[in-house]
Amino acid sequence: MIAELLNNLHSDIAMGVAQAAGAIVLCAAVVLVCRRFAVHVERETAISLVRGLVQMVLVGMVLAVLLHGNLLVGVLILLAMTFAAAVTAARRAQDIKGSLLLSFYAIAAGSGVVIAGMLVTGTLTADIAVLVPVGSMIIANAMNACAQAVERFRADVTAHVGQIEAGLALGADPGVTVAPYVQSAVYASLLPRLDMLKSLGLVWIPGVMAGMMVSGASPVYAGIYQFVIVAMILAASGVAGLIVTLLMRARVFSAAAQLTLRSAEQHQPPPYRLAKSMPNPS
Amino acid sequence: MSAATVIRSTRIIGDPEATLRPSAGLEPQTIALETEHLSRSVLGRILVSDISVHVQPGEVLAVVGPSGAGKSSFLRLLNRLDEPTGGTVRLNGQDYRELAPRELRRRVGMVMQVAHLFPGTVAANLAFGPRQNGENLSSDQIAALLERVGLPGYQERDVSNLSGGEAQRVSLARTLANAPEALLLDEPTSALDDVSARGIEELVLSIIRERQMTCVIVTHNTVQAHRIADRTMILEAGKLVTIGPTKEVLRDR
Repeated sequence: MIAELLNNLHSDIAMGVAQAAGAIVLCAAVVLVCRRFAVHVERETAISLVRGLVQMVLVGMVLAVLLHGNLLVGVLILLAMTFAAAVTAARRAQDIKGSLLLSFYAIAAGSGVVIAGMLVTGTLTADIAVLVPVGSMIIANAMNACAQAVERFRADVTAHVGQIEAGLALGADPGVTVAPYVQSAVYASLLPRLDMLKSLGLVWIPGVMAGMMVSGASPVYAGIYQFVIVAMILAASGVAGLIVTLLMRARVFSAAAQLTLRSAEQHQPPPYRLAKSMPNPS
Repeated sequence: MSAATVIRSTRIIGDPEATLRPSAGLEPQTIALETEHLSRSVLGRILVSDISVHVQPGEVLAVVGPSGAGKSSFLRLLNRLDEPTGGTVRLNGQDYRELAPRELRRRVGMVMQVAHLFPGTVAANLAFGPRQNGENLSSDQIAALLERVGLPGYQERDVSNLSGGEAQRVSLARTLANAPEALLLDEPTSALDDVSARGIEELVLSIIRERQMTCVIVTHNTVQAHRIADRTMILEAGKLVTIGPTKEVLRDR
């Protein structure tokens, strides 16, 4: 029987490796197409593919060991995931002091509130085999929302330095001068999740539903449960996007209400602005 | 209406005829600006180096110098849009760090090189500053301000439809709406064509004279400095080269 199990396992792994190879080949083809248009993402794609594969294999191995752990183990795993998510999101705001901590607070608050709420209401069981995968989906989306909010807020503020400083020069509170950019950042962080909710069942049938149906659950219940998960993802993303933007807002001004977030170019403005690159007619 | 409101309304609106009779009307509230060893450096690069100057109440001081001399950097330190890394600024003898930055910036108004208007109507732009202090400009006050800057009836115009010269006039009116005691002008005409530039210059000159406002104007145009400024200071590489009556300082320039 053990021999049969090992045989099955090996055949699963062999099939997985073959599927991964196929996926990598497809990605490589896309990279080649991008290269033709002078979009060079070869190195980044290669690193991302290798990292993604290694991480998923490691996670699979860890989960296989921890699958029968208790709630505390599950919480620790989710905390570690939250930290990793914060590291990723904080890369979008390297020029802001304490961006890692800001991202961690935002992702932890967004996903923490939602996961705790789901546990309390019984929507999510404390079973580590359910808690970790569902929790990771919520954390990953909170991370994306956080990164999108940070990116949009940063881009808007650096593109509107003149207007912001005009407001400051008129005696406005710093919060007033960046209010439109806070709104657009939070909106930008929510938009993909709103689209996801709208397209649920029409454009895509997410993995949780598919998994439940494979496990024999009623398709209707699986559909409703999937909706709950995506709605919770939206809630977590909203909280994470809002918190990270509000925390960023406080960080981009000094105690004397001076705008401190500028692009490197704006710190020492030249008499002209450089284009990002030389336009290539070809 | 209280006496204070009457005074403020008059200061906001201005009195066009006062240009012809500078001593007429209310005693203007104007202040002396003094910099004390004012310095600023960013990432090891010195932008402003140890500048000590005194601007008398009602005086117009021009700051001239080549590109990159630190003129705008110096000006931005005067209303604390940037933080000095050394020295300080005094308003009527008071260290400006003792004032809340928002109050300081209401008292020391600034007109930038580019108008940077907020999306919306001209009237909303004019009302912005006073509203930050919990005050609402009446439609009469807005109309009078626009009349004063040569844009009568522009209240409901969308700022996206203004010419460069008109936008700069709105920017000036928006700053004046706060009834500042001193005015900082950062090359307010450099982005305009000659006709618009001359119009703005004459407007600025008439307003600062009628209100007897303390004014610091950054300009690379020495002819403009001749026309506007009582005194002129020359900056080079962030350092004060000379300061004195404009005619003397710019005699050979």
